[in-house]
Amino acid sequence: MSDIKTKKRKTWKNPLAVWGAKGGNHEVPTPEWKNPHQIWRDTKAFKVPTTKIGRFHYEYKSSNHGEKIWNRLRWWPTRRTILLTQGVYNRKSLKPEKIRKDKRPIFWFLSLLALAIMPFILPEGYKNSLLTAGGIFGIYASINLCWTLVIGTAGIFSLATYAIVGMSAFLTTWLSINLGLPWWMLPMIGMFVGLAFGVIIALPALRLDGFYYGLLTLGLNELCRVFITTSHAFGAASGGLYGADTFINDNWAPMTQTIVQYYSGFALLIAALFLFRFVDGKRLGRILKLAPEKKEAFAEASGVNYKRARVTVFLISSIALGFIGGFYAAYYRGSAFDIFSFHTVIMGLAMITIGGIGRADGAVAGTLIIVVLDRVLVELGPYRYIIIGLIMMFTILFLKNGLFGVRKQFRDWRDKKKGEARSSRLERGGEMLPEQATETDNKDEIYRRRYDKMQREFLKTLICDEIIEEHKQKPLGQHSEALERVCYYFRRGAMNDKYVVKCEEPFKKYKIMALSGVRGRSPRLVEDKIYDTVEAAYHGLFLRRIQDLMEA
Amino acid sequence: MNDIIFLVINGITVASIYGLIAVAVSITWSALGLLNLSYGFIFSFAGYGAWLAERHIYGEPIFVMFMGIAAGIVGGVMVCLIVFIPVHDKPNFTIRGMIGTLAVSLIGGQILLQNFGPKAKLLPEFFGYGKIKILDVTLTADKIGIICSSILMLTIVVKWMKSSRRGLEIRAMMMNPHAASIVGIGVRKTGIYVMAVTGAMTGLSAALLSQTYYLSPFSGLTPMIKGVSIALMGGLGSVRGAVIAAIILGFNEALTTKFLGGRYVLMTQFALIIIVLIIRPRGIAGILDKAREA
Repeated sequence: MSDIKTKKRKTWKNPLAVWGAKGGNHEVPTPEWKNPHQIWRDTKAFKVPTTKIGRFHYEYKSSNHGEKIWNRLRWWPTRRTILLTQGVYNRKSLKPEKIRKDKRPIFWFLSLLALAIMPFILPEGYKNSLLTAGGIFGIYASINLCWTLVIGTAGIFSLATYAIVGMSAFLTTWLSINLGLPWWMLPMIGMFVGLAFGVIIALPALRLDGFYYGLLTLGLNELCRVFITTSHAFGAASGGLYGADTFINDNWAPMTQTIVQYYSGFALLIAALFLFRFVDGKRLGRILKLAPEKKEAFAEASGVNYKRARVTVFLISSIALGFIGGFYAAYYRGSAFDIFSFHTVIMGLAMITIGGIGRADGAVAGTLIIVVLDRVLVELGPYRYIIIGLIMMFTILFLKNGLFGVRKQFRDWRDKKKGEARSSRLERGGEMLPEQATETDNKDEIYRRRYDKMQREFLKTLICDEIIEEHKQKPLGQHSEALERVCYYFRRGAMNDKYVVKCEEPFKKYKIMALSGVRGRSPRLVEDKIYDTVEAAYHGLFLRRIQDLMEA
Repeated sequence: MNDIIFLVINGITVASIYGLIAVAVSITWSALGLLNLSYGFIFSFAGYGAWLAERHIYGEPIFVMFMGIAAGIVGGVMVCLIVFIPVHDKPNFTIRGMIGTLAVSLIGGQILLQNFGPKAKLLPEFFGYGKIKILDVTLTADKIGIICSSILMLTIVVKWMKSSRRGLEIRAMMMNPHAASIVGIGVRKTGIYVMAVTGAMTGLSAALLSQTYYLSPFSGLTPMIKGVSIALMGGLGSVRGAVIAAIILGFNEALTTKFLGGRYVLMTQFALIIIVLIIRPRGIAGILDKAREA
């Protein structure tokens, strides 16, 4: 191997001459040419920087056991699987593997388990305050789950959620005081109160759209506040109405009371999660997912009665909110006027926006964050509201859909960046891109394309006026090595779009056509030019191929 | 008869203050598509600005009133810079903007509470203590001043929007924001003008209301909710609709107070609003002119 890139030999050696081919000269004069090995050396040479190719293993893949692709556990007696699992074969080792397509049940289970064992693992000093906050968290998370059903699933932008809870709490407290109802009756009656208010509030929702309704419900909230605070029956002076029957016995030890409160809030949260699952994930939710905002006409045309579904979801969540209101009354022995205040609405909106509107996990996590800030870090004073406001601002300024939209937002961003990086290192010439190469099963194709590219680059260096002239003089027969290499390449090309000469009339009319490459599909005519002799047609075809080679 | 007229004048006085906020909400919604729920904060901000000016700069009532308007402008522009300009080109802008303005009012309210404390403040009477008697009805200078200054403010704003170049830009944005941005009307610049004008209106209403009632960090909430209700009834995006709705609700307040009692004002008001909205989902302006699509 010599290091000289271009050899200045003025002759080609004819490889066929040793067999004594007819008219085969040993050496033919030739123009300057480039060593064909050089381009191979250049391609193989180590170039910095090298870019990593392939994809990361984003998903954890667990190995399989036994002969079955995977083991399916099902919720008895349904056919529903516990975890959505997909079986795949490892592309490299061809071992069977399984991917958990939906890991959310695992995270839900772990988080709920952590909440369930919370009273046993909290340090003694903080136990009381944290468990109290935990009970509040349970109630608020349930309210926000119902609210998410209204805003997210039903798409009704209602801000009167806390008004329904508050009215139910006040009315049941009043009934409990005046009629002496036991505590377990309060949520039951609350459900009817919630239904009644739901019907009243749902009426304008049928006519108004979007933010008109939101503003109206904001006003309704204020109406309830003014009505309750100014009425004589609900104790205008004391800042709230208290004295309802409760499930917490005063004779218990304080810690027992707190733990009972905590677990009752936790049970309410579980119930609300089940409600969310069975409304959002079942028929009603699916109907409404077909009818997102501004696409109602399509849903209607598909035969979906989305209005009915919306109102049904609204009423179901109103009943649930009424239930929570009754529970609230039984939990706190009453309710404060605070529940109707604008501040509560802002806090509630903060809870559902921070997590991400329309998602159960978002509502619960947002509630957790706000409750921790609001009820646990009390020593921060008014600063905690400023922190909450700043978190809200951060969410709306930088996040697409709250905390739980971060995953998708990050993936979109990463794919965008990857696309940019890929296009910046893109080399033209038909070679496969690294990402494409790792995903192609036929690895021969990668090398074929690489070799093809190298060869074309080399052949381009050979094209000059001399060989064109040489071909014009003698289209067939033995050529100089440069021309011969070019012709070999052209002859070896794939059948699709390969140029051929068509004889219209022997020795008079010839045309150039291109083969289709597909059996049964006729060749197409590429130009109307008529050549007088077959040699001229050969040369015309040669020129076209050279043009294609130089342009590719 | 006399007390009915008295109540009607009372109603109109209150309506003219709330009407200013309603028109501000309406203009912001129709020009920018922003549901600004931070007018409560701008209201308190402007009130405290006027109060500080009275304490530290100069006590002349008219000067204090103008300082209130100026503080309102500052507050409005501040909200525009913090919420509208970063968010206006993001997806789901309406809901993002609304939550952003709520966050601003949460943070701002707490900062006001930190700096000024929960104790209520009072502004001086701007219009003196004079009284006029027309046809057996005594009108205090205070009420006449409130009604006249609000009408003056509204006239100036409407006139400015009708006749000036900036007003033309704002009206173009109201009609079709996309087309307006294509012909070279800057969304951000217009946003600043709109928020400054609406802030000035809120500032005036803050100054006017704080001299009769009082001023506290959260005293802007009720006027804002009333203003929003009026804007809703009038049809978001229509100045005429908001004015008509303010007058109707003012009368309603007066008549309800007279015949049912003050406690039922909000109930009759919301019953009225709901009835109007059920008949006309786009408010009164649904008859008058086309409101912005949500």
